Amino acid sequence: MSTVTRHALVAGETTLREYVSTGVMAVGAVLFLASWAVLFQWVGERTPVLGVDLFTLFGVLLLAMAAGIAGVGVASRLGHVSASPSASAGLVAGSLFGGIGFVTGGLVASQTLGMGTVGWLAVAVATGVAAAALAVVPREDVGSTLPAALFLALVGALLVTDTLGLGWSWSPNDVSATFVGSVMVPVVTIAGSLVGSWSAAKARAGFGTQGREAGAFYLIRLSVFGMLGVLTLLVGFIVKNGLETALTNAQFGLDGHLDLPGALFGVALPDWSLPFVDVQVPFVTNVSQSLYVDVPGLAPAILGTLWLVVGAMLFAIPLGLAAAIFLAEYTESRLFRQLVEVATNGLWSTPSIVFGLFGLAFLVPRFGGGKSLLSGQLVLGFMLLPLVVITSYESIKAVPDEYRDASAALGVTQWQTIRSAVLPAAMPGVITGVILGVGRIAGETAPLLLVYGGPPFASQNPNVLSSFQFTSSPPFVSNTALLDAGSALPYQLYTSITSGRLPGQGAPFTVQDFGWGTALVLLVVVLGLYAVGIASRLYFRNKLYNE
Amino acid sequence: MASRIVERFEQYRSRNEDAALVLLAVTALSLVVAFVLFYQQSRWTVVPVAAFLVLTVVGWVRYQATVARGLTFVMTVATVAVLGLIVAFLVVRAWPAFEQMGLEALYRTEEPLWKPAKTTPWSLAPMIVGTMVTTAIATVVAAPLGIAGALYISEIASETTREVVKPGIELMAGIPSITYGFIGFVIVNRFFYEAFQTSTIGNYFTVGVMIGIMALPTIVSVAEDALSTVPEAMKSGALAVGTTNWQTMKSVTVPSAFSGVSAAVLLGVGRAMGETMAATVMIPHTKGFADPVYDVFGGVGETLTTVIAFEGGNATGRHIEGLFAAGVVLFAMVLVLSVTAQLIQARMRSKYGGDR
Amino acid sequence: MSNADVSHQSTPAPASTTTTGETEETVRESWRTYDVTGEPAVAVEDLNVHYGDDHALKDVSMDIPEESVTALIGPSGCGKSTFLRCLNRMNDRIKAARIDGSVEVGGEEIYQDGVDLVELRKRVGMVFQAPNPFPKSIRENVSYGPRKHGDLDTSLLSRLLGRDDAEAEEALVEQCLRDAALYEEVADRLEDNALGLSGGQQQRLCIARALAVDPDVLLMDEPASALDPIATAKIEDLIGELAEDYTVVVVTHNMQQAARISDQTAVFLTGGELVEYGDTDQVFESPESQRVEDYITGKFG
Ligand SMILES: Nc1ncnc2c1ncn2[C@@H]1O[C@H](COP(=O)(O)OP(=O)(O)O)[C@@H](O)[C@H]1O
Ligand SMILES: [Mg+2]
Repeated sequence: MSTVTRHALVAGETTLREYVSTGVMAVGAVLFLASWAVLFQWVGERTPVLGVDLFTLFGVLLLAMAAGIAGVGVASRLGHVSASPSASAGLVAGSLFGGIGFVTGGLVASQTLGMGTVGWLAVAVATGVAAAALAVVPREDVGSTLPAALFLALVGALLVTDTLGLGWSWSPNDVSATFVGSVMVPVVTIAGSLVGSWSAAKARAGFGTQGREAGAFYLIRLSVFGMLGVLTLLVGFIVKNGLETALTNAQFGLDGHLDLPGALFGVALPDWSLPFVDVQVPFVTNVSQSLYVDVPGLAPAILGTLWLVVGAMLFAIPLGLAAAIFLAEYTESRLFRQLVEVATNGLWSTPSIVFGLFGLAFLVPRFGGGKSLLSGQLVLGFMLLPLVVITSYESIKAVPDEYRDASAALGVTQWQTIRSAVLPAAMPGVITGVILGVGRIAGETAPLLLVYGGPPFASQNPNVLSSFQFTSSPPFVSNTALLDAGSALPYQLYTSITSGRLPGQGAPFTVQDFGWGTALVLLVVVLGLYAVGIASRLYFRNKLYNE
Repeated sequence: MASRIVERFEQYRSRNEDAALVLLAVTALSLVVAFVLFYQQSRWTVVPVAAFLVLTVVGWVRYQATVARGLTFVMTVATVAVLGLIVAFLVVRAWPAFEQMGLEALYRTEEPLWKPAKTTPWSLAPMIVGTMVTTAIATVVAAPLGIAGALYISEIASETTREVVKPGIELMAGIPSITYGFIGFVIVNRFFYEAFQTSTIGNYFTVGVMIGIMALPTIVSVAEDALSTVPEAMKSGALAVGTTNWQTMKSVTVPSAFSGVSAAVLLGVGRAMGETMAATVMIPHTKGFADPVYDVFGGVGETLTTVIAFEGGNATGRHIEGLFAAGVVLFAMVLVLSVTAQLIQARMRSKYGGDR
Repeated sequence: MSNADVSHQSTPAPASTTTTGETEETVRESWRTYDVTGEPAVAVEDLNVHYGDDHALKDVSMDIPEESVTALIGPSGCGKSTFLRCLNRMNDRIKAARIDGSVEVGGEEIYQDGVDLVELRKRVGMVFQAPNPFPKSIRENVSYGPRKHGDLDTSLLSRLLGRDDAEAEEALVEQCLRDAALYEEVADRLEDNALGLSGGQQQRLCIARALAVDPDVLLMDEPASALDPIATAKIEDLIGELAEDYTVVVVTHNMQQAARISDQTAVFLTGGELVEYGDTDQVFESPESQRVEDYITGKFG
């Protein structure tokens, strides 16, 4: 089988090819980050760097990348550097470069040269086909570098000559947006750096199969990096913007005492006061509007979320756990199990707003006709239900049969076995699942808009425990707090978006700052639950391993 | 069939004390009565509820095994019933709206479009188109990134980076959608309005990108599950003839897990479609059709979810019935995606045997 | 095989002391030294493998002569598969594994920086314990390696450009299937899915797949353990034929099988030690280690 080609088993020293392509990738990374910084307006687009405009510098660096890539490709083709390229860069690279060629050619023809539709379409097709051919026909080392280099060189030239610069703007006829230079320059620079770095990554690994792997992994890693970047930015923005609001008039000292009004928890307890570190965070403990507070706070929203979650858990956990036990331990009918699985998965994927509509149709008329805490609790309970069923079912099923056999062998009844052997073993999974599920519903807003959300800025806390009243006529027991509309953290964030301003006067911050503060507290609550959930999973998993 | 059920019941009876069975029956009955009374908005609902609780406690003390089995069965039925109730109530409340407009509500494009009233025609078409446009944008964003993320976690990452990336992506799923919406409203919308001089604050493009980001974690984690069901032996077989990891992924791992990965994308699309809050606060809430339809920066913007969330809080009469109709359409679209995804996953599972 | 010459100097040089097993027997260097005339195809030197804290291979040194069959035998869990996976660095896939020592393939060290794993695995092919064909057609299974390496180009693009290697592929597939003694059975259904073949056919297909990239060394990890006796016999015959062109290293826990098919035999015992290595006849007829004798006669293991 002489068809098989062989290459060196062990690579020699780092070659010139690797040095150059590593350099190109480094420049690409710098351009990539710098362009995002410009888009986020962390760096002004007029910042002079080393005596030249930032955008001119972008252009110069893109040209340098182009030169590096083209150099490596051509040197490899001429045999000046070692590499193991395939015969062709392949259809994927071909269509990618064809697409880039089409778009670039079309834009240049229609915008820069001002051609009509027929004209620019012809140019676009021509450049597209040319770019694709350039990628596909020559050997891979040329095919995957030259088109990229041409694209980078074109973009670089446009930037250096200021053809595409701060003064540039483009309003296409059929799209109601205007593309201006200050945005488009970083955008095309990002595109250029991606194409260039991808090409350089292939070159660095010496083209061929390894080169394609390197190129693909570069893009995959970048995607993951991007995702984590989004996460970091999100959390970063909220912490940065919310912290000041959340800590308005806050006091931290060592010589204080803990003042907790008993009424905070809705219980008629005397206010109690403990010697303690002096921590006062009015944003967390104040009501959202009142003549008597200077700092509007989140206490009604926090307590509202607390009660919603507690109610939902009281409803969903017994129901869901019982269903999971029946499914995993009792039922022998496959059909029934499949039916329930389809139903729970259906519930899981039902959009939250649909749960809200259901609450509006089913619960609201039956709890006095208005929005109420009780409706909110039940609707969130319905949403929590499938999560409890799914996670409990999975963790009960994961309990090894030996547990059941060992117990059954002792002559214990099935229920005893479940209670004393299966459930304790499944508990860690159930707990973790419930915590994660609660984290999800605690941030749920949409159904609350329909069944629970009260005034945008609540002036009192929900007093559930002290509001029970017993009467001699049906329904014998009532609780006004449970039947009142109210606030919750996510709902509060919504109202701070939809309300133009904070009620009353003299609040030390704007409604938007109030929103940032709310977002921070909500994030702390929800991510706190998630962190606990994930940590407990890790903890139980480690315990399992170490046993 | 009937005789089999009778037989099963006889068996069940012979294994349990009669008193326990009677107690169980009464307990279940009180729950049914409670539901019926609640449905009729009776003030007496509290009585059967109390009876249920008392009987449960009594049964628990006296006949724990029988009651446990019986009650867990009742709860399972109740769980299934919830889905049935949701469907029933949505359809019942939406019925008058569909009676007025028929299926024309789904495709009518002439003015007047909104809002539903008994005397004027109306249409859900703008919202359906809006949902499709935003979902399409979200899919373009989320599907490739999500699959890349799944490949990274299951095939490329080292142990340590996986321990960082995986919880990180789970955290992304944990951030409430209203938080994404707040950032979108305060930062993204404003940036777009200023940088692209769009006619409105908020447009399909930004909404689509945002809900795409929000659908990412679903795709990543479901696709990663699917990829990890591909047997190691298959991957080793490919690697042992000297193909690269990337070639192994492309030609063995991903094709073998293809059904699972597509299920992941479908579930992600379903998430994006049902995503409510971020879209509600970012979208301009103007009903109409973008012209041309790919003008995603245009002044119109409303989807099925956003119209319900935005107007549902204080709508009455035909208006709220129209919103229920929107809910039915949304629910049907998402359910089709979810059931398709489940069927695909079930096939994948049976292909590799067992439950992993 | 005539290119290997055995010499047993009886210099009692205790190399290490076993801690497992009943008899506290000292493994002598001479028992496991095997002089290969000419260049060994694979030369292993002081190989140690740890899985976490588990020391799975201890100081294994072994020269494997080319174009012969070398059998690795020993009780289950003694590290045979681990040793085999070290030879094409499939152990790199196992995150917990730590490998020290030296392995030379064709005179080149494979545990050093800059080694191209793709290139290594082209030279050192592997057949696994359970047949693992891809869920593709029989033809695609065989041509998978060469296609992926770009030696056979049958892609859409090359067909468009009229550069495809359809005929070369045809020839290669037939040749490899013949070499794997499978061609007659599947000649008329090359486009069928490989998963439809019987277990024995699947395993021979996996051998054909490994042969298609023209390796120097072929590693086989209990290639017949999942097969019925008839299929096993076919695989055994095939291994004998393959040894004319390839260096075959085969793991088995079936001693009769090792005796039947191999030229050299290496005995690993519990604890990851190579205890004895020599010509198959000599190892089976007059083993020098008491423990090996016990193992071979079935007294332990
Ligand atoms: N992937 C792995 N992770 C951890 N330990 C392993 C792994 N593979 C094998 N081992 C351990 O290494 C030792 C040798 O295993 P192996 O090489 O499979 O033995 P054999 O093939 O001779 O039966 C055993 O103790 C086994 O538990
Ligand atoms: Mg083994």
